[in-house]
Amino acid sequence: MTDVHVPSDVSAETFPEDAVPGLPRNASPKPEVPQANWGWFRWAWRQLTSMRTALILLFLLALGAIPGSLLPQEGTDPASVQNYFTAHQTLAPWLNHLGLFNVYAAPWFAAIYLLLFASLVGCVVPRTFRLAGTARTPPPRAPRNLSRLPNSSSYRVALPPDQAITVAAAFLGGKRFRLRKPAEGDKSSWISAEKGYLREAGNLLFHLSLLGVLCSIAVGGLFGYKADKLMVEGQSFSDTVTSLDEFHPGRLVSGSDLAPFSITLNKFTANYYTSGDSRGEPSSFDASIDYSPSPGAPAKPYDLRINQPLSVDSAKVYLIGHGYAPVFTVTDARGKVVYDEATPFVPQNTGTLLSDGVVKVAGASPTQLGFMGVFVPSPIDVGGVLQSYFPSANDPVVSLIAYAGNLGMNSGIPQSVYQLDTTAMTQLTAKPFALAIGQSETLPGGQGKITFDGYKQWVSLAVTYDPGQLPALVCAILALAGLLLSFLVRRRRVFVRSVPSGDGAVVTIGGLARTDASGGFEDEFAELVTELRAAHGESAPDIPPGETASRAPGENDTETGA
Amino acid sequence: MLVSVNQTWATISGDFLIAALLIYSLALLAFAGDFAFGRPRRAAASRVVNKPVAQLATVGGPAPDSAGTDGVGLDDAGSGPGGPADVVADSLPPLRLSAWQAVSAAGSWVRAAIGFSILGVVAHVIAVVARGLAVHRAPWGNMYEFITALTCIAALFFVYVMIRYRAWTLGVFVMGAIVLALGLAETLIYTAAAPLVPALQSYWLSIHVTAMTLSTGIFFVAAVLGILYLIAQRYRKRVAAGKANAGNGLIARIPSPEQLDKLTYRAVIFGFPIWTFGVIAGAIWADQAWGRYWGWDPVETWAFVTWVLYACYLHARATAGWRGTASHVIQLLGFASLMTNMLVVQVFITGMHSYAGVG
Repeated sequence: MTDVHVPSDVSAETFPEDAVPGLPRNASPKPEVPQANWGWFRWAWRQLTSMRTALILLFLLALGAIPGSLLPQEGTDPASVQNYFTAHQTLAPWLNHLGLFNVYAAPWFAAIYLLLFASLVGCVVPRTFRLAGTARTPPPRAPRNLSRLPNSSSYRVALPPDQAITVAAAFLGGKRFRLRKPAEGDKSSWISAEKGYLREAGNLLFHLSLLGVLCSIAVGGLFGYKADKLMVEGQSFSDTVTSLDEFHPGRLVSGSDLAPFSITLNKFTANYYTSGDSRGEPSSFDASIDYSPSPGAPAKPYDLRINQPLSVDSAKVYLIGHGYAPVFTVTDARGKVVYDEATPFVPQNTGTLLSDGVVKVAGASPTQLGFMGVFVPSPIDVGGVLQSYFPSANDPVVSLIAYAGNLGMNSGIPQSVYQLDTTAMTQLTAKPFALAIGQSETLPGGQGKITFDGYKQWVSLAVTYDPGQLPALVCAILALAGLLLSFLVRRRRVFVRSVPSGDGAVVTIGGLARTDASGGFEDEFAELVTELRAAHGESAPDIPPGETASRAPGENDTETGA
Repeated sequence: MLVSVNQTWATISGDFLIAALLIYSLALLAFAGDFAFGRPRRAAASRVVNKPVAQLATVGGPAPDSAGTDGVGLDDAGSGPGGPADVVADSLPPLRLSAWQAVSAAGSWVRAAIGFSILGVVAHVIAVVARGLAVHRAPWGNMYEFITALTCIAALFFVYVMIRYRAWTLGVFVMGAIVLALGLAETLIYTAAAPLVPALQSYWLSIHVTAMTLSTGIFFVAAVLGILYLIAQRYRKRVAAGKANAGNGLIARIPSPEQLDKLTYRAVIFGFPIWTFGVIAGAIWADQAWGRYWGWDPVETWAFVTWVLYACYLHARATAGWRGTASHVIQLLGFASLMTNMLVVQVFITGMHSYAGVG
């Protein structure tokens, strides 16, 4: 340690425990001859926790995430996956075997990140112990020739050498440096000081917090749930499995764990820009609801908006979609009203909200009735075809095709409420007929009558419960804090030596910081020297400071090499 | 909620942006002029460095900015006089002069270039602010605005780096990239000022996109530095192999690989926490708007890929056998994924982030 020749060697030698910045792992594992059983395991573990393996795993993680953004995914868009299967009948099954339609839940993707985190644990845990060890170990002895350190400076003081060191020790201690003094019996006057352990602590905090994020995601996946519900203005629902349209529970969640709140949709308002380039783009959505947090509790009003979810009973309710639900009244051949309700239609074009839907009148007698329809919010005749020129409803019309026959609802095969199975039905009208609000159409053959009474709006709500959310946020913030600490804090050492010279002493100060730190140690060192010099001056104010010594190697050697 | 666009501010914004583009082009010309006709500083700088620096290095002198600078432009434990990395000091002027003195001493081409750069940044900032006033929100709601804002950040950050580290030799490259990006934004994807759809009406938008814009601007500068590093490193190898002449040509004028490596690293460790914060803010916003904080939406996926690649760079830089060229290639891959996200994923792949407003 004292026999230092080049400054670059000093920094490597004086910081042996983190000579490699960032994540110092055993960067190049030595090829060992694996022994039986445990030897192999140790060898494999060392390979796994080596920096090179971690780097390769990080690469694979980045690479593995990409296909999920290029191919449709089961988790987010199952309909597109079906379309992909239809369009690419030979390729799709192969991609499916590789798990490429559900990348982020695929075993190989899990293998990558689990190995990466295993590697991380294998690196971070020993380092945590090492940091704890370093924090208890004093800094190394001061090198003999401080002028060879990257930063050094020396000056004369009017104090005896040991007093000059005492002043320096008090000064550096006051700056919260960790100090090391010569052992008993060592007659030379020096002091070593070190600071900046928070860098490594921040680094470890960052990596451990990433582990925390992963665990939080797992907790959310096990104990959380996600559900969807479509409701028309005036309807209510309570958060139970039977009343939800779709329910995706976590692995350890059952229907009885649901939050028992209820919601009534009073009114939905959508506003759109009416002029400029954004004409037809939405400007605001507002679902006015009443909710009660638990059965029997008084209802409270709430304005549910995008970016403004409702938090109720540890779950959250989001507004995620909207559309029109035309209201029809249908009388059958007997003249009896067999259908009178709002029927949600699905927007086909988000810009104009032209929407499709079907009406299934199962109770019509003697034959069941069915209608395929298009809801046109703002109708305009484009060459004989009805189009919508704006998403909000201005004198809307519906265009319908009527069918009679068997709806096939008792066949046992589940049916979509948005599709009409016309295989066992006959089309009643050759061409679609259009109805404005209040208009009716009498069906041919005395099959009955349908009236377009008006429309309501529907919203789709997402109900989510994710107990891992808050822990994930906390861990993410901790990770960021750790990152900042490890980037901003600089680990640095300052050494002071003092040798007798005439009436006083020559004080030499040397300093070095990890070269990889974000820079600026020169400024800090210069400041330390200025302040220390002032402190020395205060201790011996009556004698003027001697001439300034330079850091030229020859001159220094004669002064400090004794 | 129904807010209209203030056309006066919109016009001011457009005019100032054109002005910024023109002034940047003039700065670019001046930087190029310095390259072509400026007096060669290389020899002079080497001479200064090899002189004894005793007086200047002595601490405690009256001028604080002379303290601790030992003739090497950047802090580097391994590059003291006579040390192994003496070459480091070759092409950036030393830091012992104050910024103002250094600029004055740098020659008329450089002075003109710096003047134009600062003027351009001022016009650019005015353009971005005016756009914000025109649309009554943070002016980065679509791709055109995003590129306008991020090039503004890149220019600001570069002007700082250039003056702080006397790195004018980089001007022609960074300014070139900024002029190119801004020019393409202006000609190909100009989007008139417009208000936002409800999903974007959140203060998390401002926070998330501000962080993303900031870090993208910084990564932009890091990427240009990384490319220059690869050029300088290759040039050094060719000189060592006797295939190129040292001290001649344009490449000899750019800073040494060691300096570029350090500047790149500083830029990345500046940008990386901001990017991390931006991703977290985006997750919070996604939770507010869509009911989940992470859903592997294509844009989220690519932001994740970018984050992982920059993390790879930081680790590679600390791993034996991966330092230098390999780590810079990784850094550039990270920037490539960022650009893919911005220019390909957001525009051509349908996801919940399809707000680019292009086409």
